[in-house]
Amino acid sequence: MLIYVINRILQMIPVLFVLTVVVFSFVQLLPGDVIDTLIGDEEAEDPELRALLLKEYGLDQPIYVQYGIWLGKALQGDFGKSLITRRPVSIELFESIPATVYLGLVGISLSILIAVPLGSIAAVKRNSPTDYTAQVVSLIGISIPEFWFAIMCVILFSLHLGWLPSSGYVSPLEDIGQSIYYLILPALAVGFRQAAYTTRLTRSSMLDEMNKEYVDTARSLGFSEPKVIYKYTLRNALIPTITISGLQLANLLGGTVVLETIFAWPGIGQAIYLAIIDHDYPLIQAGILVLGIIVVVVNLLVDLLYRVLNPRVALG
Amino acid sequence: MSSTEFQNGRRSIEEAIKPPTFGERMARYRLIAQDALLELYKSKTAFVGLLMLVALVTILLLTPVISEYNPVKPDYSAFLQKPSAEHIMGTDRYGRDIYSRVLWGGRRLVMIAILAVVFGLAIGIPYGVLSGYYGGWTDSIAMRICDGLLAFPGILLYLLIVTLAREWQLEGFWNDLILIFALGFAFFPEAARLVRSTVLTEKEKEYVEASHTIGEANLYIAMRQILPNCISPLIVNATVRLGYVILIIAALSFLGLGSPPPTPDWGADLSSARDHMEQNPLLAVFPGLAICYTVLAFNLFGDGLRDILDPRLVDR
Repeated sequence: MLIYVINRILQMIPVLFVLTVVVFSFVQLLPGDVIDTLIGDEEAEDPELRALLLKEYGLDQPIYVQYGIWLGKALQGDFGKSLITRRPVSIELFESIPATVYLGLVGISLSILIAVPLGSIAAVKRNSPTDYTAQVVSLIGISIPEFWFAIMCVILFSLHLGWLPSSGYVSPLEDIGQSIYYLILPALAVGFRQAAYTTRLTRSSMLDEMNKEYVDTARSLGFSEPKVIYKYTLRNALIPTITISGLQLANLLGGTVVLETIFAWPGIGQAIYLAIIDHDYPLIQAGILVLGIIVVVVNLLVDLLYRVLNPRVALG
Repeated sequence: MSSTEFQNGRRSIEEAIKPPTFGERMARYRLIAQDALLELYKSKTAFVGLLMLVALVTILLLTPVISEYNPVKPDYSAFLQKPSAEHIMGTDRYGRDIYSRVLWGGRRLVMIAILAVVFGLAIGIPYGVLSGYYGGWTDSIAMRICDGLLAFPGILLYLLIVTLAREWQLEGFWNDLILIFALGFAFFPEAARLVRSTVLTEKEKEYVEASHTIGEANLYIAMRQILPNCISPLIVNATVRLGYVILIIAALSFLGLGSPPPTPDWGADLSSARDHMEQNPLLAVFPGLAICYTVLAFNLFGDGLRDILDPRLVDR
């Protein structure tokens, strides 16, 4: 196991390398000089200041040295200052991560709560009207753009019925009741699409499990049908479901950009979106890099968890 | 007597080796097409998906004929109208006919999506085939690059490229081209990995060994002999991907990163409809429904194709 973990961590290195190179090139490819981006137009005219800044930022060095310097700083959490707020980018990002994780975790949990029962009932009653309904609903679910679903929810629940706020965020540490009140619509929008995926996944992995021999054995030993299904089959079928939900969590962090924008949710997605609108390059660069690293790490953790849950998988 | 027999025999050999006439060839194609249609008909999902796609393509091709209004020309005598006989989906805040905008927007969107997927396949297929065929170091490096690109969660890689494009201030056609490039570029690692995994199993088969023995060139074996056997999972993947790409384009233009106004665009129209949710909530309904319909059509067709092409799933 230890060797496997080390191996997996070593495999992460080239992935992170590609990630950093792409993100680093982003600023290099911007039109104009990096100096123009870093300071105002009038200041950029001054040749002395320019030379000073070139030296200070190491821009007179060859490109691979620049990459090395940038990477070294990034490793220490130094991504420079936001061009808009003039605060260190790392602090801006650090403050926005909890809101995103909060929304993501609640959304994923909600989707599992909906999808696992729905998917397993569909599998148990295969080819019944219930199954077809579940399949059609989940197929429609994955075809609906999440931002449209979010807008429709806002129109229905906020504008027409007036039950829920249309946007905003309250930290759960401040006021848990208000926090949940503001969380419902965004979490629903995150969870809905996810639930559609997970339903399809649960159904097909249940079907896979139900065809296995141990199920027949359990039946022939005289176990009751609910016990066979829910105690043995579902447990095994849940392993891939939970794993892929975990992988989805990582993806979701990147996909919340649109939803966070709609609901004015102060997470990392909205931070990146606002940075794009404001042309705040250091923040864009750091935000995307941080999300990418989170994804790689979460994927590794999920993969390890999968092997712990399912010892039959060979460590290869 | 024996000589006539011989001659008869000879004639039939000649007949057997002479190339088929045009009519014969057409008859054979018709048989193949009939088989394909029959298979499609057996899978309800694929058939419904196909019907929906045919309807979509027909409507989009007929757009210049059936859309009565200019999609970008404002009409200040008729803004924010509810659906009526004149404007069957109502009008937006500039008095533009929503129905015409949905149709013209669809033409552009579907075209971009198809070109993007084709572009992704055009890079991904040779990349994956060669990587899998040559194996070893080439393969390791090629696949780590794919992993790195796949580590960008959700729409972030697109955000990065499209933001860059915005800074270069590209317009119209060039802006669409960047969108195609971004979407295709993000698809190629997935396509490459898919092809590679099939190539890995194919290249161990006898026919490849046979080709080696008679001295065929590596490139010829890889691209002309192995590749055709790896096509079916690619077709399924590309179809489902088309739906996904449409969702991504809609999300990007919803964030204001698509083409600049007044280009008709489902995502951008949805975004501007948000400002008028209280006066005319229907404004947000139609472009969203159009996205759902299109994505659902591709998903249904792709799902059905998978069932047909993957015999392992036959009994589901």
